[in-house]
Parts: sequence; structure tokens; C-alpha cells
Amino acid sequence: MRLGKALAVTVATALLAVGCGGNATDDAAGGTVTLTVKTFGQFGYDDLVTQYEASHPGIKVKQENIAKLADYTPKLQQWLTAGSGAGDVVALEEGILVKLMGKPDQFVNLLDQGAGDLKGNFLEWKWNQALTPDGKKLVGLGTDIGAQGMCYRTDLFAKAGLPTDRAKVGELWPTWDGYLATGKRFAAAGAGVSFFDTAGPVYQNILMQQGDQTYFDRENKLIVDTNPGVRTAWDQTIKMIDAGLSGKIQMWSPAWNAGFKQGSFATIPCPAWMLGVIKDQAGPENAGKWDVARVPGEGAVRGGSFLAVPAQSKHPKEAAELAKFLTNPAGQTAAFKAKNNFPSSPQAIDDPAVSSAVNTYFNNAPVGKIFGQSAKSLQPVYLGPDNQVVGDGIGDALTAVEQGKLKPDEAWTKAISDAKRAVEK
Amino acid sequence: MRRGNSLVYLTLLVSLVLSVFPLYWLFVVATRSNDVIGQMPPPLVPGGNLAENVRRLFGAEQANFALGLINSMIASIAVTVSVVFFSSLAGFAFAKLRFRGRNALLLTVLATMMVPVQMGIVPLYMVMVKLGWQNQLQAVIVPFLVSAFGVFLMRQYAERAVPDELIEAARLDGCSTFGLFVRVVSPALRPGAAVLGLFTFMSTWNEFLWPLAILEADNPTVQFSLSQLATQYYTDYTLMFSGTLIATVPLLVVFILFGRQIVSGIMDGAVRS
Amino acid sequence: MHGSPYLFIAPFFVLFALFGFFPLLYTAWVSLRSWDLTGDAGFVGLANYSRLLSDPDFWNAMLNTVGLFVLSTVPQLFFALVIAGLLNRPIRALMLFRLGVLAPIVTSVAAVAIVFGQLYSRDAGLVNGVLGLFDVGPIDWQASKGSSWIAVASMVNWRWTGYNALIYLAAIQAIPKDLYEAAQLDGAGAIKQFRAITVPLIRPALIFTVVMSTIGGMQLFTEPLLFGQGDISGGSLRQFQTVAMYMFEQSFQNFDYGYGSAIAWMIFLLTVVAGIANALIARRLRGGTQ
Repeated sequence: MRLGKALAVTVATALLAVGCGGNATDDAAGGTVTLTVKTFGQFGYDDLVTQYEASHPGIKVKQENIAKLADYTPKLQQWLTAGSGAGDVVALEEGILVKLMGKPDQFVNLLDQGAGDLKGNFLEWKWNQALTPDGKKLVGLGTDIGAQGMCYRTDLFAKAGLPTDRAKVGELWPTWDGYLATGKRFAAAGAGVSFFDTAGPVYQNILMQQGDQTYFDRENKLIVDTNPGVRTAWDQTIKMIDAGLSGKIQMWSPAWNAGFKQGSFATIPCPAWMLGVIKDQAGPENAGKWDVARVPGEGAVRGGSFLAVPAQSKHPKEAAELAKFLTNPAGQTAAFKAKNNFPSSPQAIDDPAVSSAVNTYFNNAPVGKIFGQSAKSLQPVYLGPDNQVVGDGIGDALTAVEQGKLKPDEAWTKAISDAKRAVEK
Repeated sequence: MRRGNSLVYLTLLVSLVLSVFPLYWLFVVATRSNDVIGQMPPPLVPGGNLAENVRRLFGAEQANFALGLINSMIASIAVTVSVVFFSSLAGFAFAKLRFRGRNALLLTVLATMMVPVQMGIVPLYMVMVKLGWQNQLQAVIVPFLVSAFGVFLMRQYAERAVPDELIEAARLDGCSTFGLFVRVVSPALRPGAAVLGLFTFMSTWNEFLWPLAILEADNPTVQFSLSQLATQYYTDYTLMFSGTLIATVPLLVVFILFGRQIVSGIMDGAVRS
Repeated sequence: MHGSPYLFIAPFFVLFALFGFFPLLYTAWVSLRSWDLTGDAGFVGLANYSRLLSDPDFWNAMLNTVGLFVLSTVPQLFFALVIAGLLNRPIRALMLFRLGVLAPIVTSVAAVAIVFGQLYSRDAGLVNGVLGLFDVGPIDWQASKGSSWIAVASMVNWRWTGYNALIYLAAIQAIPKDLYEAAQLDGAGAIKQFRAITVPLIRPALIFTVVMSTIGGMQLFTEPLLFGQGDISGGSLRQFQTVAMYMFEQSFQNFDYGYGSAIAWMIFLLTVVAGIANALIARRLRGGTQ
């Protein structure tokens, strides 16, 4: 009978699925500890993990990776809320870490696990980001940083009568005023393409150079409207938009992707990881047309990540050891070699493997030196837990100005009032 | 009966082309190399890279694509069979049987559909933690074995397709309600069941948010697996689309199978008074 | 001997109690608490709800949701009805057409995102290209409410028209053929038969699709998200952010779980109200029975 068969199929299938069950626990019999490392994107830990297992016979390491950060973040939220699932070592992107610093006891205090000795292994500003303001809890150890250069199209620069050698290009813009002036020159030369893709990243870079705090002071009071640095960054960006330098292209959109090959924009602030994107998108026929110069101003970094040990881990001691291993200078150098993740450790940055790295696609640009320089010159900046919300609001306001929906002053007022509303709740 | 005139054909043809074009384009991209994505106008002719792209697809370790296909097959079949069966039962009951509280219960069923899906994720995750079902396939099957939408659809279909006279006649013959269901109602419900089966299979197959939440990359369903083909920054579209194309094939097969059922349902028994 | 009707409906309610009711109650419970990433700060009564009522972004999302709903339901159901009627005729290659209009459901969201992204691209999009032939300036589709609503609605309509056509088709096929034969003998043409016989007799299916579309419309999430290339805030000024997107943004991006739960319950209430209202409207239209 058709129904009977259907019922049997359902039950059988369900049983089959259930039968393959069995909880994935960390301990097998016989004392092996299995540590679960949760990551997003590509941290480049495969070889390191094999190495660690070889030198630590009682430890097995399981990596669980989610390709996109946007898919990883909701999972992280649910693991923390539900109190289960976060594994033993968890990757935290800078924007999220900053939020989580509001409740540091969700994570093991790494200072209790002997991490205090490792302070010298990290750039000062990176170390401070994961440290509570009273200095008593360390939530995470830094992995990579989005050290910036300024990528530019040599052929478009040549057409506009600008120098193409990266040292000379770097001299064009020691400050952002220089960048603006160069942009105006470029536009005046009538090449018909924009100077940069979109205003958001430019603003972000300028902002991070404006002193030791941005939207919040160290008491986590909102100072977005009173901090002159924020207004400076805003005004400079508006000047560039007004000069018509922005291509107004949304990042990661198909038009943006195509823009690298088509040459829709002449420059783009590029973190280390973006070099791979540019190379893949622009294609082999454009090899050598893209190059990397220094970024205007002193020091530029956007984003980066950390490794933390969740308090729910059943093996905090072993997990902390693993985290320390993965983030030590040798580990960071290996990750750079594997996946081009720029280290946050000064020793790794100075390691010849990193400092003498060149990128053949970009005219053999000495990327190790360029990014290292910009990473080291960055001064520590305090961000505050709601940094992302306020930053997104300002980013949206800039886009609205680019789209011509708001005048700059209206957009500023809106961004401020949105920020106040978001923070005051 | 007159044959359809040219206006009818034209309208249907335009609808067909508009409906099918993205699917066709999916196929074209899957057979090409990556430079065609940003192109305007988009390429319309398939290339020869399909085999190469498929090879890369199954070789991509982080995606576990083959396992994703198998897991989705198991899940979709189990859920579809269960939903069609239980929804037919309940739909028939709500449509044709009289019992106390029928309308109130029906409204409750309807209300359960109005709960936004995304909100259920964290509490459902907690239930799964209690059951120990994290990263287990049953976690994407068991919560979906019944469907409010299915009940509602079958009820609406049963109301029209199962004539009261037939039920009366069967009862007079001494049929139990269940026997009635099996012998009289089920055949009449077949076209509706075919529609429900089609949509249930498809929605289970296309489910992304919940499998992402409860499974890990080593035990994925097919949509989760596809999302793992992307890297954080760069999307290899030909790879993704090859995967999507292959992931679409089972849907097309189900499509065609159930599609026939709808047609044969008409042949079998247009309702006669 | 007579199986209890309650046994027939029990499986649904048993499973729902386990996997549906608990999340519902839990969400309600969370919505009454102040719960963000710093953890559960305790019971705050209806504070989240009163914050919601004075939150301009929430009302903006409501406006977008309702506007999108109207633009994506009315044309869609109308065309679905027309197509179902056409598909019911004895035309050649019937199976091809019937399956063909269902192709959108089978098409992956990734492909849809790219195709529609390119259609509505500001600089190189097909739609702007065609408009350019009529001297209509390039439209930045994401920049305004009106244009973004039209674009998103077109995505929704594209995806679901075939689906609804199929539901209408299944219902049309249950109509006794002799009714049409009698009308034919009375001299009624095809369109008159459609209006006088088909539409009233598939009223349950009409109500069904209206209610389903309403529920789907109130919970609209995927299409506007894809249109904005994954931007959960739905445009620089939240031009096309729906309430479901706003809920997701608050819960999973800003980690304000308590507030997000309150939004979820508001969506639920909104859906119930809209569902009932639209069902009543559909019931009154074409009020005739045989």
C-alpha cells in the first residue's frame, strides 16, 4: 500500500539519520584531548596545526571554518547566547572583539594563562585592543592586521601625467591633502575615470590617524560630535567627494569587482589581503598595471583578528597554549606565507619572510616593507564597544552624500543623531 | 475546443523566457571561465569549461560538496514524505471532519506560520544542544516533519476536491475514517499532494539559515556547502555556479516527476457529481 | 471504529509543541528583558516595546514592508491568475510551459542576486540602458525608496508568480467541466467564463494565496538583502530595509537580542493583523458562490 510504504520510508530515513548520531565530545577514551578551533575566512593554520599535534602527542586539533564572516557572526552570537558550541579557540574579528570587550568574562582571561609574558610579541596598539581598560583581563591574542597601502593603476596615472614609480607616487601624498590635490590633478587631466572607488574606506583611514580615540572616550562616553578628529576626517572626505573623486561604487558589488579589470578607478586603499582580490579580479592581462605605494598620513590599518578562549571551553589551559602557539611570531609568519595575512607581531613583521616579501603581480612591489611600515607607525586608538554601530552610521551617511540624497551638513547631523540614538537605547 | 490563439502563445512564451533566463545564465556561467561575470552584455553562449569547473568543485575540500548533496537528499526526501503524509491527514480532518474546536485549532495552525523564521534560530539551537544534536543531520529533519503551510494547503485542496457525497457513501459502506482516508480521499488529493511535495522538497533543499546555524562545514547540507565555496573576499563565480547547477539538477528531476503527477491527476479523476 | 479526528491532527501539534512553541515562548520571554552582548541584564517589562514604538527606524522599516508588500502582491497574484488561466487551455507543449514558469523557484538565490544586480546596476545595467533609449536619465536604483521598491518587488514577483499560478491551476482543475460546457452553450466567451465561473469557484485558493503572500510579504528578507548586496541596513538611508531585516540587524549584528526579540513579536502581530485583514478583503471580493 502506497501509504504504508511512505510511512516506512519516513521512519527508516529518520532512524538512519538518528543512528549516525552520537555527540561530538572532546574526549575520546584514553586521555586524548581534542581542541576545536573555530575560524572564519582563511587563517592559514593547516600546517601549524599538524606541527602542533606532532609536538603535543595528547592533543588533537579540529578546525571548523566558516568561509564568510557574515555567516560566522550569527553563529558566534548563538554559541555565546546558548552557552555551547563555541569550541576551545575562537576567532574574533576586530569589530566584534571590541563589542565583546563589554562582557570580558565570556572569555578566559589569558593573563591567568601566562600570556602576560608575550606582550612584547605584539604591536602595542593590537595588544591594547584586547585588554580591558583596567589592564586586568586579556581577552584575545592578535593574529593578523589589515595593514594598508595605496594601490594605484600605473597606466591611468601615466595617462594623467602623474609619476608612476611608487616612491615618487608616495611623495605625491605624504598627507591626505596631498592625496586630494593629486586627485584633482587626475580629474583635471580628463581620464574619464574616478580617482577612487568609494569614500568609506578613505574616511576610515583618515579617522584612524586622528589621535588616540575616535567615537568614544575611555569611559565609553560618546564623543562623536565633540571629537575634532572625527570632524576633520569627515570634512576631508567630503572635500574629496565634492571634487568628484569618488566612483560611488559599492564595495564587493559586481560593478566593483569588474572595476579592477575595467579600470573604473585609479586608486584604492588596499589592505594586505586585498592584493589577492585585485589580482584575481583584474586578471593576468593587467599584471604590472597595478602597483602599491604608501598610504597618505602616518600609519593605516583597517581591521584584523584575534584568537580567544571561550569560558565555555572544557580545556582552557590546553586551549590557551594552542592559541599562544598559533599567534607567536613563528606562527604569524607561517600564516603570512600561507595566506598573506599580515602579522601583528613586530618580530614576524621583521622576519625576512615577511619584510622582503614582494608581489610579482604588482610590479614586484616590496609589500612586506610597505605594509610593515604602515602597521608600525599606527598609534594606538581606543575604539569602544559600540564603535561598529556608529561607524556604520557614518558610512551610510557618506554613501547618502555620494548618492546625492543628502547634503553634507544634513548627513552629518543625521549621523550624529543616529549615533546618539543607538548608544542611548 | 479552439486551439490557443497566438496571443496566448506569445504571453506564455514571454513568461517562459523571463522565468527561465536566470537558470539558463547559471548554466552558461558554469560552463565558462571567470572573466564573464562583470561583462555587459552578459554572455549568452555556453563555453566548454564545465568538466573542469566540476572537477574543481568536487575537489574543494572546504565545501564537502558531495556530502552536502547526500545530506540534502536524505533530509529533503524524509521531510517531503513526512510533510505530505501528515499534512494530508490533518488537512483532510480540518476540511471534512467535524470536531470540537476545529476552527480554533485551524487558526492556531495559521498563527504558527506567522512567526518570523530567523527568530527561532537561537532557542531552537538551545533545544538541539539539550538533545545533543549539534552538527547532526536529524537536527535539520525532525523539526520540519510537519508543516503548517502543508496543513493549510491540503485543507484548502481537500475542501474542493473531495466531494461530501463520496464520503457519505463510503461511510454507509462501513468505512472507518482512516480507511476512508486511504481509499477515497488520498487519490482525490493527489494533485494537491504533488504540489505540496514539490514545494516541500524545494524549500528543504534550499534551506540555508538553519543548517548554517546547527551544522558545521564537515557535515553540511548543499546550500551550506555552496556558501563555503566562497572565500571571505573573492567569489569564484564559475565554481559557485557549477555547484549551484549540480545542486539544481535533483530539483529539476523532482520537478519533472511531480509535474507528471499533476497532469495524471487530472486524467484520473476530474470530480464528477 | 471511527478514528478520532484528533488523531489526524495530533502529529502536527505534538511536533509543533516541541519545536515551534518553545522558540515562540522563549522569544517572548527574551523580549521582556534587556539582553545584549554584555549578557542578560534582567527583566525590563515592556521597555523594549516602548522603545520600538518611538524608534523611527522601526517605523521606516514598517513603511518599506507595507509598500513592498503592495507592489509585490497585487501585480503578482493578478498575473498568476492570468497565467493559470492560459495554462489550463489545451495548447501545445503544455508541460514545457507549466514547468517553465516554475523555474524561478528552482533558481538559486546566488544567480538571482547577480542577474538582478546587473539589471539594476546604475552604470551598466540593462534597465537603465533601455530607459536611456527613452531619454530617461540613469536611475540609481538603490538610492531612493520608490526605485528600490520597484526593483525589489520585481524580484519577488519574478520568483513567486509561477508558484501562485500553479496553486490556482490545481484549483481550477477541480472545477467540474460541465459548468464550462453549460456556459459555452449559453454563449459566454472565454473571458466571461473566466470571470463568472473560474474566479468565484477558486475563491478558497485566492484567499489562500492572499494570506500566504501576506505572510511572506510581512517577513520579506532575502530579496531586499540580495538587492543591496548583503547590506542588512537596506540602503544608505534604509530605503528598502524591511522589518525582518531590521530584526536581524538588531539581533545578529548589533547583538541586541532583547530588542530583536521584541521586533520579532511585532512582526508576528503585524502579520496576524495583516493576514486577517487581507483574508477578509479577499473573502468579500467576488463574493458570489454558485
